[in-house]
Amino acid sequence: MKKSSLFFTLILALLLGLLVSRGLAQAPPIREQLVYSLSVFDGKTYTKGFAPRGEDTIYLIANENNAVSIRYTLVYFWPITARYMAGFKTLNEEVEGTLELLRDGKVIRSLEKEDNVVFYPEGYFAENSKMYLHEEAHAFLQKYEYATKEYYARIDEYYEKTREYREAFEEFLESIGERRKAGEELSRTQVEAQMPKQPSPPEGVRFYTTPVAKDYILNLPQGTYQTRLRARDGTIVQDSQKNLVAFVRRRGGTIGYEITPGNRWTMKESSNDPSKTIYASGKNTLYLRPFLQDEYNDLYYKKLLDPQNVGTSERWIWVHTTPIKNALLDLLSKGKLLERIERAPYYVKQIPGPELGYEILEYKEEEFPERSPSFEGHKLEVSSVSGRGKYDFRLEKGEGEVMDGSEREILFVRKENTNLLHIISIFPLIVGVVVFIQRKRRAS
Amino acid sequence: MRSRFSPASHTARVLVRRDFLSALKGWGLYVAAFVSLLASSFILRSHLGAIKENNILISSDPLNYPLFISLVVISFYLAIISVISISREKDQGTLEVLFYGPVNCSSYLAAKYIKDMLLYLVMVGFFFVYFGAVSGFTNLAFSWSLVKAIFLSIFLVSCIVSFGLFISSLTSRMRTSIIWLVGILLVFLAVQIFHTMLISLEEEALSSSLLYLRKTLEMVSHGIGWISPFSYLNRGMQSIAIGSTLLYGMSILYSLVYSFVLLVFSVLILEAKGVRG
Repeated sequence: MKKSSLFFTLILALLLGLLVSRGLAQAPPIREQLVYSLSVFDGKTYTKGFAPRGEDTIYLIANENNAVSIRYTLVYFWPITARYMAGFKTLNEEVEGTLELLRDGKVIRSLEKEDNVVFYPEGYFAENSKMYLHEEAHAFLQKYEYATKEYYARIDEYYEKTREYREAFEEFLESIGERRKAGEELSRTQVEAQMPKQPSPPEGVRFYTTPVAKDYILNLPQGTYQTRLRARDGTIVQDSQKNLVAFVRRRGGTIGYEITPGNRWTMKESSNDPSKTIYASGKNTLYLRPFLQDEYNDLYYKKLLDPQNVGTSERWIWVHTTPIKNALLDLLSKGKLLERIERAPYYVKQIPGPELGYEILEYKEEEFPERSPSFEGHKLEVSSVSGRGKYDFRLEKGEGEVMDGSEREILFVRKENTNLLHIISIFPLIVGVVVFIQRKRRAS
Repeated sequence: MRSRFSPASHTARVLVRRDFLSALKGWGLYVAAFVSLLASSFILRSHLGAIKENNILISSDPLNYPLFISLVVISFYLAIISVISISREKDQGTLEVLFYGPVNCSSYLAAKYIKDMLLYLVMVGFFFVYFGAVSGFTNLAFSWSLVKAIFLSIFLVSCIVSFGLFISSLTSRMRTSIIWLVGILLVFLAVQIFHTMLISLEEEALSSSLLYLRKTLEMVSHGIGWISPFSYLNRGMQSIAIGSTLLYGMSILYSLVYSFVLLVFSVLILEAKGVRG
């Protein structure tokens, strides 16, 4: 017995040793690979990624434009994130040819590269974007280039005006000094009224358009396909065969919320399902951002974001697509309307000092000049006392029109009863004692 | 075949009543229930602590995980009493005496199975009282999903009881039965842990020997997924977490098939080995 356990321990140690030594001693091997470079629509914007050789299936949202190109690059495995990484900066060689799309073994489409741009109507870091093709792509790029040119012209004008303002201001200071020396008495209001006006900087270009790229555009109806690249010499490019899954949402157009607790604004939560309750404790300030949302298969959607992701085919996830901006948030307690809350911009101000704190302030342009709001949302202040442990909220659009699926419940947990939990668990023993006493009585 | 699996209802009923009442009059069930609910209480306490610390928690079924913990504890208890039940009577010679009367293998095993399931139904009663009280005291919702989970647990516990009876039919001594049960469960657990550890690493990071081990464990683990009763418990709870009606229904179906197959095997083994075997 002792010998066998010693043997087993040695084997285990050897295996662990092998595992550790392999992980620590070797640099990750870098290999040249043919990969699919992807710019795919994720329901709200375009996500960039790549499918290495090991991933044989690419997932796309059906009936949307998705850009694909096939490239040789250097691929290496990065053990820290357990992912294959692409070194596009070192090698990025596009493979020319015709992308063939197959269904049930038959070629249904042969695709050539098409001009495309991604247009971000509210700026590159905003939540939504759209792809445009061909002439429209060029038109949108021109629109952006024209707006940028205009902006730079306004900037030049602004610098010129600023230079003139500084000169005028210096002249003004000199003249005020001379007038005061001459005995003229000037009040502060009079000085301010005569002071030259400082020019305001021009507003930047709010939208953004990517440069025109040439890619294979995949816009497919729902279904499963195969794809491969046929080179100019008519041969199939090795390792270019992949499966394609074009999927659709299961449900759409319902309302989800992104919830930011006031005491930790970087840790956002989501409430996407009306059946899920929001549990809170004590006095709470919550900032709610409502969104229209679509429900996708977890596996498909995660693989769409990154083909190396893992997902569960039986699970469904909600994806926030479009922010809802023109609605009021109704706060209710026991069916009685307590408050109608408007969406407002907020600014997160870092508090200097060793505590690394912050405070969330209502954004006003005059108080935070040249700064943008950190986020916009509906501020909800709730406490366990005023709502007696339960609140409801919902979105209202127009006059009294409640938006379907926007209702949520907030329950306040009674943390003061935490100690009672252990006492409740004793009750099976009490039942046992009762049974024991009755048994004794019957026996006697 | 007909006589082998006939209900033998009267004898079975007598056996069920005798064993069930005997278990109810003992302390085992109450102590096991107390331990399982105490484990849940610890989980709930940390859950409430997390809500206090993070300000909010968004969940449709906050009581499901504590229920899962309780289920694991009570499952161990039921697996052990199932495994003890036959081997103790074999060990003490009671089984031989019983089989001189109108008792056959199928009625005897059916009685043991029904007794254990009835004991679990008592536990279900405890769950309803406990989680109802927890909901009342803490304001955590007693959701429909929790009711679904408790209902599903009946079928999952059926797997564990059948597994215990199956092990018990294989062995003749009580001590051997327990060692076998604990040993098998530990093997299941070890395979699960090693497999999880190795699949979390990419092929590039593994040596060829570890790759071979991973492939082997993958196959073993796949097989164990259908043999281990705890895999059924895990799958069932996952189906509720995912909210898939199909998987929920499949979980019930798989559990019923698993229980039936193991009970049939137990009857066949008991018949083949005889009452002294």
